[in-house]
Amino acid sequence: MAQPLLLSRCPAAAASSRRIINPSSSHLNLTTTTITYSRNIHSSLRPYRESHCHRQQPKSTQLTPVARSSYSYLRPYHSKHHPEPPSHEYTNSQTTILSAALNHVPEHGFTLDSLTLGARDVGFLDVSVQLFPRRELDLIFFWLASRRGLLRGKVENGLFEDLSISDPRTETVKKGNELSVEEKVKILILERLKMNKEIRHKWQDALALMSFPSNVPLSLSELHALSSDILTLAGDTSVDAAWYTKRLSVSAVYASAEVVMTRDETAGFSDTEAFVERRLEDCNAVDGKIGELKQCLGFMGSTAVGLGRSWGLKI
Amino acid sequence: MKSLSLLRRCTIDSRNIYRQTSPLFLDFLAPSTLRQSTQLRCNSTTAFQNDNQQSRSNKSKPKYRLSESQREYLDSALRVNQAGELAATRIYTAQRPPVVRSHPHLRPLMNHMYDQEAGHFSTFNKLIAKHQVRPTAMYPVWQAASSFLGWSTGVMGREAAMACTEAVETEIGSHYNEQVREILSWEAEAERRGEELDDELKEMLATFRRIRDEELEHLDHAVENDSKEAKPYDPLVNVIRLGCRAAIKISERV
Repeated sequence: MAQPLLLSRCPAAAASSRRIINPSSSHLNLTTTTITYSRNIHSSLRPYRESHCHRQQPKSTQLTPVARSSYSYLRPYHSKHHPEPPSHEYTNSQTTILSAALNHVPEHGFTLDSLTLGARDVGFLDVSVQLFPRRELDLIFFWLASRRGLLRGKVENGLFEDLSISDPRTETVKKGNELSVEEKVKILILERLKMNKEIRHKWQDALALMSFPSNVPLSLSELHALSSDILTLAGDTSVDAAWYTKRLSVSAVYASAEVVMTRDETAGFSDTEAFVERRLEDCNAVDGKIGELKQCLGFMGSTAVGLGRSWGLKI
Repeated sequence: MKSLSLLRRCTIDSRNIYRQTSPLFLDFLAPSTLRQSTQLRCNSTTAFQNDNQQSRSNKSKPKYRLSESQREYLDSALRVNQAGELAATRIYTAQRPPVVRSHPHLRPLMNHMYDQEAGHFSTFNKLIAKHQVRPTAMYPVWQAASSFLGWSTGVMGREAAMACTEAVETEIGSHYNEQVREILSWEAEAERRGEELDDELKEMLATFRRIRDEELEHLDHAVENDSKEAKPYDPLVNVIRLGCRAAIKISERV
């Protein structure tokens, strides 16, 4: 296990960093040499990798960045005086490979092939996919975490400020700052869904992999992180049980919309948009009903207590 | 004060500039080496600004960085405090009608204590929203349990109600005291390193102290109003204190 790691880090890593700084430099030459070199290594290592890797996997997952980063989904105590902890702890080379591999996802899906091609693109050896003990799953979670970061970046760069929405019912034009939390949540969900546009035909495979029993906890915490981000960015400030119900409903709406989107053939994904709108309306309706029920029960309770007091009971 | 706001504006500006120059992606996903360098850059800019400010005020010291475990501590502390104040407001809400009915002279005291608790509750609600702390999952449970506690002790009479207040405020007061002590220890550590706590933490420390004093004032009021005369005094107070401690422990986690 140590040997391939070592190999992947030495000359190719240096090459990759150079490539990032100056993509127009003579990297064609470099790439071909690395590829031929790496193929040799790869083929010679293949039996080793296939026979040993699976047995070693449980041990190595404890050391993986993903396993450690799942902790940071908990997001403790935020403050403007203290910088946010990074959403994941991939190392430099891992991030480079994963970012390059994402370019191959539309064609090859979330597979080991994409990872290998991505590693080749940035001048790593093929064996450097061993940097990812979770393999395809690492690619999927990197995709999710990076899209989450992009969404945050969009809002910070003024997604809402540039926006103005005209309401056909009241015939008024709302500026971005005047949007309600619900409207902002809807915009953010749609914005996040739009990011799936290019990979949507491959997304069902990823969903299947994520719903594999051993991957479910990580998938759910990522979903929670997304819904939590969406609500925070939308400016939601609920501090009671609604904190939980809102995150649950946003997660449910987003996850189901994602599935709907994979089968949506309409232009501009109008079906998905309509679906999201309907689901959010449903959520609001259920919320309203529960609120009314609570009010009704509270009223009945206080009436009963008042009646008892008027009868002279010591309550 | 003016220079302080100036300083804050400067840091915000520098952050914005940084954000624009770096691509969206890297800001969030910077690999470890890059991340370190950006942090260094941040540090150096603030240090530079501090040097600029030094001529105008002597107050500028580097800010104390909270560690991961300290953040977690604040996270659970704010969660517990919010849950505690929620319970306190519910207890007084439920206690007030039966107690005031049989002892009208207690009305101003009960109103005063309720108003203070409601103020504390809204303070912590704001802090929780501001620092994006997860509220406790037991929220509805505490709501129901504290209402029941307040109502039942209220029905048992003035002395029992005051014994309940005494038990609850004793626990809450010592809990706040622990938190104040913890933040003071951070302050001492920051002092040793030649740093200082950020304004939010200083403000939080002041808030905790004020609220602790107010809670202990309620304790005094309770003792003045014959809380020790409650009929099964020891079991009642012990059960309530045990319940408070358990609730604190649970709220710290979930």
